[in-house]
Amino acid sequence: MNEKTRTRVGGPDDPREGLEAVVALRRMLEALEAAQVENAFVAGWSWAKIAEVLGVSKQAVHKKHAKRIRDRYPGVPPGRKGKDA
Amino acid sequence: MIFDRLFRGFSAEAREGVEAAVEEARGLGHDSVGDEDLLLGVLRVDRSAAAEALSSLGVTLEAAREESEGMTADALSSVGISLEEIRREACEAFEMRLPEDRRISFSPRAKEALGKALREARRLEDRRLTPEHVLRGVLCVEGGTAVRLLSRLGVSPDQVVDRLDGRRR
Repeated sequence: MNEKTRTRVGGPDDPREGLEAVVALRRMLEALEAAQVENAFVAGWSWAKIAEVLGVSKQAVHKKHAKRIRDRYPGVPPGRKGKDA
Repeated sequence: MIFDRLFRGFSAEAREGVEAAVEEARGLGHDSVGDEDLLLGVLRVDRSAAAEALSSLGVTLEAAREESEGMTADALSSVGISLEEIRREACEAFEMRLPEDRRISFSPRAKEALGKALREARRLEDRRLTPEHVLRGVLCVEGGTAVRLLSRLGVSPDQVVDRLDGRRR
């Protein structure tokens, strides 16, 4: 494969780096989601509202994040600031 | 302990190293334990021949951790994403750590390294598998992440093996 056909596809020259970037992005996406959901929770958003913006069911968000966040902020109900509307 | 079967024939130190590798992988947000995490793990076993051989070549736990992050950052920048910038812009809660409830397994390369570690222990006719064998196993993984990490630190597998052999004489 010559230089031209390689660069036409776009992306890094070394396929390994590109593939590693995919792995790193997956991890980063997870970390970002966890952080942003936590952020929204602290800002007083309800699980329903968080789920709506993420485009998933409330159950899905709850299952994935509720335990971790509740453990971190014991006694804080979501949506307590009434910022949901 | 879920590792009981895996750890048959392992010395307490080798166990400690592999368990430390799992912690390192979690801390770095890896979704499996890679061969580079095994390298970090053996570095955490203080006074082990493995950790001492590595540190005599300038490879400390801190240096290796930093390099592992550096490799992630480089991979991301190859597709135009700056890890540093995301760290800066994302909210405080952003950390790459794997959530506690997430299960983690060993990557194929890590399994290969542990298999080769056993082979090395047999070859050297040692009765117990120690962190040194784990390190030797990691160095045997061709094209592995640990070997690349070491080469970024200016250290070749042969150099490490020489140090390990030197300590045996």
